Amino acid sequence: MPAALRRIPAGMISAIVALIVWQIIGSVGPLAGDSFATASEAIAALWMLLSKPEFWLAFWETFQMAAIGFAISVAVSVPLGILIGLSRFSYRSSKFVFDVLKVIPPIVLIPIAILVIGPTMAMGVALVVFANVFSMAIQTAYGVRDADPVLLETMRCYRMNIWQQIQYARLPSAAVQIGIAMRLALGASLVVAIVSGLVGGAGGLGSFLALTQSSGNADQTYAVILFLGIIGVALSRMLVRGQRRIIFWSGR
Amino acid sequence: MIARRLWHWILAILIAGWLPVILIVWWWNASATSDNPFFPPLEVIWEQFKLNWIFANVSVHLVPSMQNLFTGFAIAVVLGIGLGTLIGSSPGASRYIEPIIDFFRSIPAVALVPIFILLLGFDSSMRIASIAFATMFPILIATIEGIRTTNVVLLDTASVFRLSRAQVLWRVRLPNAMPIIFGGLQVAFQIAFIVTIASEYLGSGFGLGAFTLIATDSFMIIDAWTGVLLLCMLGYTLSLVFDIVERISLGWYYGQKKLA
Repeated sequence: MPAALRRIPAGMISAIVALIVWQIIGSVGPLAGDSFATASEAIAALWMLLSKPEFWLAFWETFQMAAIGFAISVAVSVPLGILIGLSRFSYRSSKFVFDVLKVIPPIVLIPIAILVIGPTMAMGVALVVFANVFSMAIQTAYGVRDADPVLLETMRCYRMNIWQQIQYARLPSAAVQIGIAMRLALGASLVVAIVSGLVGGAGGLGSFLALTQSSGNADQTYAVILFLGIIGVALSRMLVRGQRRIIFWSGR
Repeated sequence: MIARRLWHWILAILIAGWLPVILIVWWWNASATSDNPFFPPLEVIWEQFKLNWIFANVSVHLVPSMQNLFTGFAIAVVLGIGLGTLIGSSPGASRYIEPIIDFFRSIPAVALVPIFILLLGFDSSMRIASIAFATMFPILIATIEGIRTTNVVLLDTASVFRLSRAQVLWRVRLPNAMPIIFGGLQVAFQIAFIVTIASEYLGSGFGLGAFTLIATDSFMIIDAWTGVLLLCMLGYTLSLVFDIVERISLGWYYGQKKLA
């Protein structure tokens, strides 16, 4: 391989090859036709969508659902987790309930959420909260329980009150767990916001995607999915970078 | 000794069990006199649940859902582990293929369903294809990672014993990758469940998800509640079953970790 070629990042080369393969599959062979968009058609459709205000409005709605849901999840689950984690009994009593609720995907609640809340952005926010709150709370509680027992004993000897114990022992110990939970929750929030639009009609990019599919516009359907992939990659890159900046001593 | 163990067990169950029992009893009593149409009494939901799911509609709605789920998942396991082993064995290839896999994984799994609806329509093949495609990527990533990160000492030992490439793969790399692959399988299985339901929401007709969403759309609120309850139970049961399967198949690994 020539030296100039080798300096191009692997990701760039594979992206170009993938686009060419996509173009060929879509032009010749059994998949070619109206229901399959080629790479050039999808990119052209995406370019067109990017100049449309409705598309950016949909993006903004999805972003709002994810961000508001995420903020509520953090605001509820961190205090709740600390409260649960303070005593062994409350931790062990609630762990089972939270573990059950944690593995139930929010998508199963959509039919009831449509009835109770209605297919609105509020429903999207509620589903994002449901998706995050239990795992974040139990993770926080785990971090709180994980605080150094010697440190806690020492604090009790000095008769530091419960608030001081939380501030100087429990919270610092829980911070790592909260950070991990938050990182996972950020990605999940975006996914749930999209899904509640797609299958629940909550608006945003999900509903936009449902509309392009039901109107049989393959080019735009592929364009939206391409866009979702790009946001997903961008978000995960940002999270990795952010994590490196905050926990700068690990992962060199 | 046995009595003490038994006592520990009972205590653990009591500590974990009192809260769910209280929550259900509270729901039962609080909703008993409810005349809010959206929150029917739990007793009414439970009566309808028995009518719907023990076992009248099971063969119409539950069985097809589960068939699609497991067929799609099985295809994804075969493809994911097979391709992952191939890619993972060659570091040059994985450098170029991983960005593509990463891109597909970054798309929300459910958002891939519209592509398959456009291509295949609304029948079972669309559902199975969506499940298999979306589920494949976490398995693929985990397999590549597992195959690539085999312990160097083990590989050196294998080459001292002059094991052939196939033997190294089968006896050393794959067993070593198993704990990581199982992590991928667990994520994949959750995704498979979600995509199964989503494909039924989006594609009309049969299946548990379709039943529940149709009940919602036609304001059969009690039916919708029974569907959601069954889906919740299913979601938890499936994840429990997966944990048990993992415990059994990776028994040797956990044993090793305990020793270490």
